[in-house]
Amino acid sequence: MAVPEKPAPVAAAEAAAMSESGAQTLTVSVGPQHSGSGHMRLIIELDGDIIVNVAPDPGYVHRGIEKICEVRNIIKSIPVIERPAIIDSSNLNHAYIKAIEELQGVEPPPRGKYLRSLLNEMNRIMSHLYWLSIYGVFVGHTTMFMWPLGDRELFIDLAEKLTGARITHSYIVPGGVRRDLPQGFAEEAVKRTLYFEKRLDEYEKIFFNNPLFSSRAKGVGVLPRREAIALGCTGPTLRGSGVDADLRKDEPYAAYPELDFDVPTRKEGDSFSRSIVRMDEMRESCKLIRQILKQIPAGPIRRRAPIVVPRGEAYSRVESARGECSFYMVGEGGDKPYRVRYITGSYRNMAAIPVLLKGGHMADMPTAWWSVDYWPVEADR
Amino acid sequence: MSGSPSREDMLIQNIREQFPGLVKEARVVRRSRPEIVVAPEKMLEVTLFLRDQLGFDHANGVSGVDYNREARFEVVYHTSSLEKKEMRDLVLAVKENLPRNTPKAVSLVPVWPGVENFERETFEMFGITFDGHPRLEKLFLTDNWDGPPPLRKEVRFPTD
Amino acid sequence: MSAQKTSQQEDDPLAMLADSISVWVGKLSDIVKRIVDTGPIRSVVNWGRIYSLWPVNITTACCSAEFGAASGARHDLERFGVLPLGSLRQSDLIVVEGTITKKMAKRLRMIYDQMAIPRYVIAMGDCAISGGLFHDSYSIVNGAHEFLPVDVYVPGCPPRPEALEQAIIMLQEKIRKSKVYAQG
Repeated sequence: MAVPEKPAPVAAAEAAAMSESGAQTLTVSVGPQHSGSGHMRLIIELDGDIIVNVAPDPGYVHRGIEKICEVRNIIKSIPVIERPAIIDSSNLNHAYIKAIEELQGVEPPPRGKYLRSLLNEMNRIMSHLYWLSIYGVFVGHTTMFMWPLGDRELFIDLAEKLTGARITHSYIVPGGVRRDLPQGFAEEAVKRTLYFEKRLDEYEKIFFNNPLFSSRAKGVGVLPRREAIALGCTGPTLRGSGVDADLRKDEPYAAYPELDFDVPTRKEGDSFSRSIVRMDEMRESCKLIRQILKQIPAGPIRRRAPIVVPRGEAYSRVESARGECSFYMVGEGGDKPYRVRYITGSYRNMAAIPVLLKGGHMADMPTAWWSVDYWPVEADR
Repeated sequence: MSGSPSREDMLIQNIREQFPGLVKEARVVRRSRPEIVVAPEKMLEVTLFLRDQLGFDHANGVSGVDYNREARFEVVYHTSSLEKKEMRDLVLAVKENLPRNTPKAVSLVPVWPGVENFERETFEMFGITFDGHPRLEKLFLTDNWDGPPPLRKEVRFPTD
Repeated sequence: MSAQKTSQQEDDPLAMLADSISVWVGKLSDIVKRIVDTGPIRSVVNWGRIYSLWPVNITTACCSAEFGAASGARHDLERFGVLPLGSLRQSDLIVVEGTITKKMAKRLRMIYDQMAIPRYVIAMGDCAISGGLFHDSYSIVNGAHEFLPVDVYVPGCPPRPEALEQAIIMLQEKIRKSKVYAQG
């Protein structure tokens, strides 16, 4: 058994920085192992208790997915593409397949589009519930850890009935989707979403409108609107700072042009507003699931599509739970792409973390950091 | 193409009028996906115009592509607009071509601060340097990989 | 000590008495150790260790979602005594969930070395067993056993929460029968 050598210590120049007041600052390394979140290190410079500078150090879960996609057949890459944010897998899957279909010139049939949107909305709810439960770990609220995980199992059951897997769906394939709705699915899903909306009202009372949480999250980790736009932030992080950008409305895809929903936005830009945005999104997703199941047309679920990446370039993007997930694909014929550039919502939001932590207290760091829903595996790919 | 010019065509025409002779190639890949190819030394000028006059206020991403058979690297900046709602679905690709043996580009961090991490990743994955980048060092690959930049085509996988 | 005796001390009765006492004390500690390591006291010690396995979960990647689901309300790991409290020094189990990159492997070894004895390792997921889906990538270590002594392997990509519960029960059986790696 080869024991790996110890990593090099933080450079002395970083450690001996001076703050503006002339006092010597302290460099603290947060991570890479912490309870609940993935592995990422933040090198934080402290002046007493106030955070002066933050340098993110990602790469602890970097698996080289872009290179892997160049050597695997497009169908075999689907599980690999899903893995960065496995709790939100069908959205990433959707973006990848959209790029391939754009190059091939294939469009899925209407029933296939509705089924894609159905799984996407279910994944959005599952992902936000997981975020909320890990927020409970960070904030120290054990009920906030247990309840969302229990309610998440409701939707995992539905996903298992639909796709055969709990979280690794691999459901969206070139030309459509893999399986059709099983019998009894629609009634069961409607029942569960109605129950879950009542639970969301309880969550709002117990978790969010509760001074235990709101006094910790209001005014903490403020991201101003101008910075959010300039840094390229996306998803609920952007919508919590007053920009109502949502790809499902701005560049609609799949079944979204025919569905009716709102885009929740808040102006304040602090951790509390980002949390409320996510909760409102869960409500909208419940409404969307019921609409989809009512309006879904009959017909085939999949068109014939070859396992080939034709010559050309395509840029496709999808609104995943953490923001815009985009693929830039270059094809040269054959069944493997020439280049796959994969940018996820968390990777874009990584630029916002130094900005919203600066000037705050060290004790507020977990609240502010997790409200961005930075998922380290998704950023590292 | 029949009928009135699309907004993508008008956008490209606007850029061409502003920088005569600098925009080497331009085409509209499909609806909402125009692209222009710019000389590397003029990237800063063109992108400042895009941001200040045309409203492309953020970058969606930066990609490097290794065209080793043509002995060039290509760096593609994808940019879009958030403030202008009617342009939110348009993604403009701004490309530059660099010679493969000395790939030197100019950093666009002064234009779009969000590209800082993307340019760092392009540097470590391809070996392309960006002049003027505030912190050009490895982002994901420290302690992970010591060899040549891994996304270059000559670095092969064992299962390739 | 006997090797350092000089000719003066050879006939010293006090030194001879001290020597024989130390030999008998040594024999006594051997007997005590043998009683504790086998037999009823070891079973009691093992029984105490089994039902409070506090893990450090190395939430690397996707398997962490299933570990979270396993700790959640439906599959409750706490009924087995598994309570992830977070601090390394008060844990005795590492659950390596997911892909281990070379960068993380160095830190993971440091984490393992910091834990107090007894400590056990569960390798959860295909990536921790052999590299899994990413086995040919440039930044991956193909399996946790490359640098950690693994007690239980849980296959799956990711394993279901029920599989993780079975792994905990298997580890408890191993500890009960003292079939784990030598600690210390």
